[in-house]
Amino acid sequence: MSLTRREFIKKSAALTAASYVGLNLPLGETERARGEETEKWVRGTCRLCGVGCRLDLGVKNGKAVALRGVADSRTNLGYVCMKGMLFYKLIGHPDRLTKPLYRTKKDQPFKEISWDQALDIAAREFAKAVKEHGNDSVAYYGSGQAQTEETYLFQKIFRAGLQTNNVEGNPRLCMASAVGGYVTSFGADEPIGSYSNIEKTNCFFIIGSNMAEAHPVIFRRVMRRKLDHPKDVTVINVDPRVSPTSRIADIHLQFKPGTDLALMNAMANVIIEEKLFDEKFVSDYCVFKKQEEKEAKTVDFEAYKEFISEYTPEKAAAICGGNITPDIIRQVSRTFAQSKGTVSMWCMGLNQRIRGVWANNLVNNLHLLTGQICRPGADSLSLTGQPNACGGVREGGGLCHILPGHRPVENDKARNQVEELWGVPAGRIPPKPGLHTMALFSAVNEGKIKAIWINCTSPAQSLPNVDFYRKGMRRDDVFLVCTDVFPTKTTELANLVLPTAFHFEKTGVYGCTERRSQLTPKAVDPPGEAKPEVWIAREWTLRLARELKDPVIEKCIEPFKGLEEGWALPKAVWDEYTQKLTKGRDNDLRGATYEVMKGMADGVQWPAPTEDFARKGGTEIKFVRGIDPMADSEAKDDKPFQFYGPAHADRKLYVWLRPHAGAAEEPDAEYPFVLSTGRIIDHWHTSSMTGRIPELMRANPYAFIEVNPKDAARLGIKPGDMVEVESHRGKNVLPAKVYEGPIEGMVFVYWHDMDEDRMINKVCKDAFDPISKEPEFKISAARIRRVSGSVPLKPYIVSL
Amino acid sequence: MKRGFHFEAAMIGASLAISVHMSFAGEKAVHPAVTEQEKLMPCFECHKTATPKIYTEWFESTHGIANVKCYQCHGTYEDLKKVPDVSACAVCHQEAFGHSEGKMCWECHPAHGFVAKE
Repeated sequence: MSLTRREFIKKSAALTAASYVGLNLPLGETERARGEETEKWVRGTCRLCGVGCRLDLGVKNGKAVALRGVADSRTNLGYVCMKGMLFYKLIGHPDRLTKPLYRTKKDQPFKEISWDQALDIAAREFAKAVKEHGNDSVAYYGSGQAQTEETYLFQKIFRAGLQTNNVEGNPRLCMASAVGGYVTSFGADEPIGSYSNIEKTNCFFIIGSNMAEAHPVIFRRVMRRKLDHPKDVTVINVDPRVSPTSRIADIHLQFKPGTDLALMNAMANVIIEEKLFDEKFVSDYCVFKKQEEKEAKTVDFEAYKEFISEYTPEKAAAICGGNITPDIIRQVSRTFAQSKGTVSMWCMGLNQRIRGVWANNLVNNLHLLTGQICRPGADSLSLTGQPNACGGVREGGGLCHILPGHRPVENDKARNQVEELWGVPAGRIPPKPGLHTMALFSAVNEGKIKAIWINCTSPAQSLPNVDFYRKGMRRDDVFLVCTDVFPTKTTELANLVLPTAFHFEKTGVYGCTERRSQLTPKAVDPPGEAKPEVWIAREWTLRLARELKDPVIEKCIEPFKGLEEGWALPKAVWDEYTQKLTKGRDNDLRGATYEVMKGMADGVQWPAPTEDFARKGGTEIKFVRGIDPMADSEAKDDKPFQFYGPAHADRKLYVWLRPHAGAAEEPDAEYPFVLSTGRIIDHWHTSSMTGRIPELMRANPYAFIEVNPKDAARLGIKPGDMVEVESHRGKNVLPAKVYEGPIEGMVFVYWHDMDEDRMINKVCKDAFDPISKEPEFKISAARIRRVSGSVPLKPYIVSL
Repeated sequence: MKRGFHFEAAMIGASLAISVHMSFAGEKAVHPAVTEQEKLMPCFECHKTATPKIYTEWFESTHGIANVKCYQCHGTYEDLKKVPDVSACAVCHQEAFGHSEGKMCWECHPAHGFVAKE
């Protein structure tokens, strides 16, 4: 690319810090304040993606008046994107939910009620469901945007109090395949390395991720690395769609959607055939695994070699189509293996697939074969979509099969340990995992779930095949509670809507992509009667215990009774979680106390067993002796790497024999296109927040359908024409964007739009990965047709 | 008073130099009349043709590659600024403030291209 050949500005070494400057928020002439006139700067984390950008919010007279990135933060180095720059407009936004709202039937209007009434109703309905239909008739569905304290407290109440493992969260829809990949490859969830590898690597392998839009501030670091070292750094972008991420790519591999497993196996084939693998690393640390029936069988290197020999570059190129040739496969394989350091980055393109875990395994395989791991500049880094999918949901026990501290529910020893730590009777937590997200909403459809608490997320828009699942949420025999900051498509289906505090209106921790937990203290008061979720959960539990006459339920919140909600309450919850539940676990966060994090520009990467270690930032690279304290404390031999992850008792890394597999729903004569979905930079998830910020809404007021020019010409579609996209499940009508983005035969729609005619999850398929249970949003068979010429459209946001 | 206030807000060790646009940094500007429907278009859709040089400079700059968009510096219709308040730069580049006293950022890093003058 010509851009990569240009001379770009280098960072000046003479830059000096000016700690007092920041953006003055336009709060009106009388309230406008200079950065240095703020009463205080409150340092916290952006909540509008998983990067974990740190920023300071300037406060004066109880209002947010200024904003700046935190230059010393190891996540964002001071940079923020437009969402981070403008989120302050949501604090005090006129659409905020400020009073509890209730209705007995879902076709009635809401009535404002008091908190006492609201909490009594919620307790009564959940108790009624338990008494009449059993413990598994209730459920919690949380969020990767909820703070760790919130996820931890809710799951504790549901598991030990209500005795159900029906605890799920929206990370099932985005990160579950990455969890499955890490656990089965490395024996432990979450990335081994850190963002700091970006400035040390010589090869980026970006697959299934439009990080320029989904993770803009991390993309900026990748861009900077490439532009500063155009000859020494190679960027390989692997995606059926040319996206803004492709602008910095030296090589863009564009292929038929759903064929990337063949591509990665072919890369492994080249690495083996050309002896590019790291023989010592493989023999010291790896074993080869093949799944047979329900058991994973260990096989030898020769068996793997024979398996992978089938995936010749020639065969893979024929499967992949697009611009994939045998030569380009060989070229990228050599670059990947021979680079001084290679960092892979991926996101939903691999995770939201019927074989998402396998796809993750195959990226991890490439790193294991080449030893591109556990050293500076080399890592297999899954990008996380949400600010606290890792910290809260994956680590804090927010999925139906895992307890806090990466403990499997099914494991008796782990479960009994948690019961003991919580001071509840042995056997209180049921041994059977709860319903995963898709099974949970199927059970809602079937009327088996009688009361569900949905916190900080909107499944009525974010589930695949969403119309099908909205039928269940509409049922009048399903009592639905929503805790949220704004009206959403899900509050439209709720009986009880409880207004919550936005971040910076409450205190809590987010754990970002790179295992880093970061504190956001309360800076301003929430509007009206909005409350932090930890307060809501505690007060509801007190009433629930009375309704069910069960002292063990009250025991769940015993340590938190009477504590002030702005700091003391979340701190007590965090302390219990970290000091008790993470002690000795691979995500040991005992050193990451509120006091330690409060004094940091960013936060703490686990494991961090002591405060002294946590103050330095924690563990930059897991499993490396001398860097990771647990690699020393858990060492079993004198090798430099100690893979002590909880899932692999043999302490080995697994190279998996995973065959190529296509999508659950391939195009056919009736539905000849592949529909894929994704993000756009200006919006976040269901746009309940970003859609209420005028700059962001105007930048992308409604979803559109991207059509390849060859397909458009064949179907008579011109830019701006209204196009119907239809699958077996539903249809949308959207304006066309005709450009060389999606490969021929593929269309792309971003998924944020709330308008029923442009809500693409109505069209997406709800098949899910049999291992991770994550749905295959990324591939659905669809057909398209031109409906009309250009039509003026209006943006749409739900109101009460 | 208003202009001075904006400058005070914006200028940390910078001069009050008039920009090349003959407009003051941070001063509100009025966009040529557009309909509410037309406001629902990304700025660049019109500016590709209305100000092609600026568009190209931005598109090829690090801001263009990293998707730093027009409204992040210039605001939107209600608070549009032809010359941005330099405090908008400070959100991301506060580390750079003070390294060249008495100058606005764009005196050395020309607007939209941002490549430092040799």
